[in-house]
Amino acid sequence: MKIIRKTSPYLRRPNANATRMMRDVTVALLPVIGLAIYKYQMAAVMIIGVSILGMMATEYIFYQVQDMLNGDKFKLKNKNYSLYNFSTITSALIYSLTLPDGTPWFVVLVGAIAGMFFGKLIFGGLGQNIFNPAAVGRAFIVVAYGTFMTFSVDTVAGSTALGVLNDNPFSADLLSNFALIDLFTGIGIPGSIGEISAIAILIGGLYLTFRTSFEVRIPLTYILTVFGLATVVAIYKDLGIWYPVFHVLSGGLLFGAVFMATDPVTSPITKPSRIYFGFALGVLTFFIRVFGGLPEGVLFSILIMNMFVPTFDYFKWSNSRFTKKSMFIFTIIILLTILLTLVGVYYVG
Amino acid sequence: MIKKSRFVSDYKKLTMTLPTLRYVDPERVYIHLQNARCKTYTLDVKEGDKVLLGEVIGVRHGGFFEQPIHATVSGTVEGVEKKFHRTGRKTDVVVIRNDYQEKYHSSVVDRPDSVIEKLTQDDFVEIVKDRSLVGLGGSGFPTYVKLATKEKIDTIVINAVECEPYLTSDYRLILEHPQRVITGLKYMMQALGVKKGVIAIKAKYKPLYEVLNQVLRRNHELDIEVKRIGNHYPQGWEIEVFKWALGIEIPHGELPMKYGVIGFNVSTTVGVYDAIKHNLPVIKRYFTVTGDAVKFPQNIRVRVGTSVRELIDACDGYVDDVEEGLVVLGGPMMGTSMTSDDVIVSKTTTSVIILKNVDYKEEPCVRCGSCVYSCPVKIQPVQIMNAVKRNDKEVMKGLEAYKCIECGLCAYVCTSKIHVTDYVRKAKKLIG
Repeated sequence: MKIIRKTSPYLRRPNANATRMMRDVTVALLPVIGLAIYKYQMAAVMIIGVSILGMMATEYIFYQVQDMLNGDKFKLKNKNYSLYNFSTITSALIYSLTLPDGTPWFVVLVGAIAGMFFGKLIFGGLGQNIFNPAAVGRAFIVVAYGTFMTFSVDTVAGSTALGVLNDNPFSADLLSNFALIDLFTGIGIPGSIGEISAIAILIGGLYLTFRTSFEVRIPLTYILTVFGLATVVAIYKDLGIWYPVFHVLSGGLLFGAVFMATDPVTSPITKPSRIYFGFALGVLTFFIRVFGGLPEGVLFSILIMNMFVPTFDYFKWSNSRFTKKSMFIFTIIILLTILLTLVGVYYVG
Repeated sequence: MIKKSRFVSDYKKLTMTLPTLRYVDPERVYIHLQNARCKTYTLDVKEGDKVLLGEVIGVRHGGFFEQPIHATVSGTVEGVEKKFHRTGRKTDVVVIRNDYQEKYHSSVVDRPDSVIEKLTQDDFVEIVKDRSLVGLGGSGFPTYVKLATKEKIDTIVINAVECEPYLTSDYRLILEHPQRVITGLKYMMQALGVKKGVIAIKAKYKPLYEVLNQVLRRNHELDIEVKRIGNHYPQGWEIEVFKWALGIEIPHGELPMKYGVIGFNVSTTVGVYDAIKHNLPVIKRYFTVTGDAVKFPQNIRVRVGTSVRELIDACDGYVDDVEEGLVVLGGPMMGTSMTSDDVIVSKTTTSVIILKNVDYKEEPCVRCGSCVYSCPVKIQPVQIMNAVKRNDKEVMKGLEAYKCIECGLCAYVCTSKIHVTDYVRKAKKLIG
């Protein structure tokens, strides 16, 4: 036996690896994918297929070109690429599931390439990216090809549940168009192919929680914050309990909270910071929805908060445990947010 | 996996139930003249001299203390050689050839209980210093310095947690000699004028709890409690033991004595018993030879100064088809990896672990945060790692890298199998 020297520790946790974590997200997406294909059939298959193909090809070509520039020998299959550890396929699936079913294939492809390239590769690949690649791709096509992204109902974008909400945020007629049970199951309402069904997303979220493959604190605080702020508005406007539930179930909130905001690479690293992060996401999403000009706030709030992740993790204040001081400041911020919401609602009418 | 995980698979089953073998008569013993704390020495014997068991053959000079060196066999001195110490450095050793006579030096005489009852703290300190007892759990800190404390101590805590995976030497020691542990603790309580003693063991070690309580029932005048504390790692870290056994939290950089508690390792306690009762220096100790690359893992009672190679042979050697292996002295989480198996068992060596070499494939950090969640000193290993990569000393200091106890948990839990501990260690060195 040859004796070699290493540094301690010599043991590693047996079943921990990054591939398992990424694969779990893919598995958790299966119910959502299944429902999307059941409901939109070929359109969903096309969108999912094109975006997987686009993202994987982009990454593969990028690394092959990089290797070529470094003068390495060409290898058809290089096991060192992060391509093989499910991170790319996860991004591609998440990206495709946020798209409306009427999106043409070339728009899907452009978004996939842009998301992969500008969202991930340009920063240095897996683990280095600032923004969620799926969110970058989606934002890219929202800006560039907004009019192409149509839903299969006869109207243009904006007729989803949240579109109605955006036109008239505090109207009680919201329910006349969309029943809460439909929003929950996702049957019979328009929306992005993966975001419509709350139940499928929750099944995926539960699976991830059970496998500890994501940080459950982020979606929990995110959803609770939106729910809480909507409750405040509901009480103020005398709207009833359906209003916060409507907010939580409609749009991409559940999908974004469970699958996009929890990407560990683009979220803060300590427990308290993750809670603050979820809270900030909730506040931004709610404000964009109610006061902003866009029908949907999830995507942009995630991108905006991704930018602030290094701020959450700045060594001067990041702490791996809650302290009395941080709890105090957090409470004050929560109270201020509620106040701000009420002031806003008062002026919006 | 994003979770706090402080349970390390412990592999103790390999040796836990095995009775201790005896390997107390090696042909030669090698006694270290230097160690991690003492760089210089004077040797009073020369080649050809006859020495007796327990005889003082020289003195190690440390920074603020001196340690007498005792012969651990009776026999003939064969000169000075260089051998590996458990810290991984080559040090001078004196070689003594065993004459198998077991002749004790005249200083090694039993003390009657009536004499022991009258000893004062200063007497205890003098005996322990003279017998050169040090922290046998691996710290190597001179025990007399601790015993000589002038602070008011309320509780003595015996650390018998042994949280490192694989190690079972302390476990077997308590199981086989609970009386010595209790008596050693009794002596220390007498020395420090302490009324209360606590023996901290792992919650899952039910047999230890039972044997210790059985002995305590016979000594009911003593206020000693056996506490079963958590099973997690690093439960055996002194600060963690105090926190779980007594509920006292000691901030970083402060001495536990200030808070009225003092901790001793269980082997040290037995060392105190030997020193006080039999006036014996540490000549034998419990030692575990284990790991997945050794044929028959064993607990062995060995003489201090035995070559580890002999002990591995006594366990029938290495597993045949292993190409590369690690020889680790100490536990697999914090121990030192050796370049050779030609190491000598010193007083403070608890075990040797022979592991098959596994080269873990490092993946990029996905910032899952498991290391931050699991860190026992509540620092952020991954952030320190990033600071080391860009050589930002201000951030390393700001993230309190100096608090790290190098328990190795961050590398153990890492989802991407990155050697995070190494980076934190580097940070500690960089910020001095």
